[in-house]
Amino acid sequence: MSTNESVQNIQEQIVALLPRLRRFARNLVRNPHDADDVVQIAVERALLRLDQWRRDARLDSWLFKIVRNAWIDEVRARGRRAKIFMLEEAGEQIGESSMEREIDRWSAETALIRLPEDQRLAVSLVLVEGLSYKDAAEVLEVPLGTLTSRLARGREALQAMLRLPEGESS
Amino acid sequence: MTISDETLMAYADGELDAATRASIEAAMQEDPEVAKRVARHRALREAMRGAFSAVLEEPVPERLIAAARGQSTAPKGAVVELAFAREAARRKPSLGVRWQPAAMAASLLLGVGLGFLAWQSRSGLIQSGPGGELVAKAALAEVLSTQLSGDRAPALAMAHLSFRAKSGGYCRTFSLTGTDASSGLACREGNDWKIKAWAESPRDAANSGNFRTAASEDSPAVRAAVEASIDGEPLDHAGEIAARQAGWAAAAKR
Repeated sequence: MSTNESVQNIQEQIVALLPRLRRFARNLVRNPHDADDVVQIAVERALLRLDQWRRDARLDSWLFKIVRNAWIDEVRARGRRAKIFMLEEAGEQIGESSMEREIDRWSAETALIRLPEDQRLAVSLVLVEGLSYKDAAEVLEVPLGTLTSRLARGREALQAMLRLPEGESS
Repeated sequence: MTISDETLMAYADGELDAATRASIEAAMQEDPEVAKRVARHRALREAMRGAFSAVLEEPVPERLIAAARGQSTAPKGAVVELAFAREAARRKPSLGVRWQPAAMAASLLLGVGLGFLAWQSRSGLIQSGPGGELVAKAALAEVLSTQLSGDRAPALAMAHLSFRAKSGGYCRTFSLTGTDASSGLACREGNDWKIKAWAESPRDAANSGNFRTAASEDSPAVRAAVEASIDGEPLDHAGEIAARQAGWAAAAKR
């Protein structure tokens, strides 16, 4: 970046992207407070590394990538806490199973949460955040083919869970 | 012509070049089954579009906006750090970076806010015992004795983690909600939950008067205190239930 003004400009763009970064983070971390912590860590890192942002890349996908990496680092750094998450999730699943019997169709969110992480991130970036396959693959640091196959498997699983009207065809 | 599902998916996602797109469209005209498969992908796309969008309508926390503008938030409030972390810092300096929070917290000990201590007696959740030690009372004692970790009862307090301390007794981390949100570590001694470590939660500068929900996470100081005192691994769900049934009484050392 050449001037303070351009830094300020990028900072405001980041501020404008915060709602979407928060949404993305909630696909990674289910507790909203923890998800915001990951966003904060990521944003702080992004500011320190603004010079690494290639101007031809989308700012949002660059930030998604930093959010994802911040999350991975946090999870690694807090092995003990990962256990706490697991306990919480186990508890939630027990609670939800009784509810599942009552609702015929899962909401998009409950279905998305049930996807394996790889597929969940691919679906979230492409279908929720609207990134291209290429950008999404870059965020996840995987080849394009890997991204598309995760996306295809994720969609198939979602299709089954959501029981959309067109779901009968094979 | 058989068209792979991945190709149809890419078509629905607008990822194909013009030539391939045209050939898919031709196939859709000819074969209703292809059209149906595309419709299926489109319907899913539509269904997922709004997922988690409620977040977009929420006000963004001030601390995130400040972070994005490069304004240092220095979020940590007063830290009350009692014997555990001090002892930990003294006993196990070799663990290196992991212990920095404990050392940091210990250095803040003298800065314990009077307001913070005033609050705890006002709220009645934490009170001084006869020996000057802090003891969980009322709703906090109730939560520590009865709730399993992660239970989100609409209470003022929530337990996060339970473990057996090296001293043999059970300890639990907890958080308190409200304008003086904090997290801490309490250990069962006799019939009391003695507060061993306690840290005020980060406060949003611009929302300092607002109600905060319970931090789902223990503060670094509290985590350091856990690391210092834990014997083995945290209790799992079944372990907590068993400990609760036993009234959190210290069992014979294994």
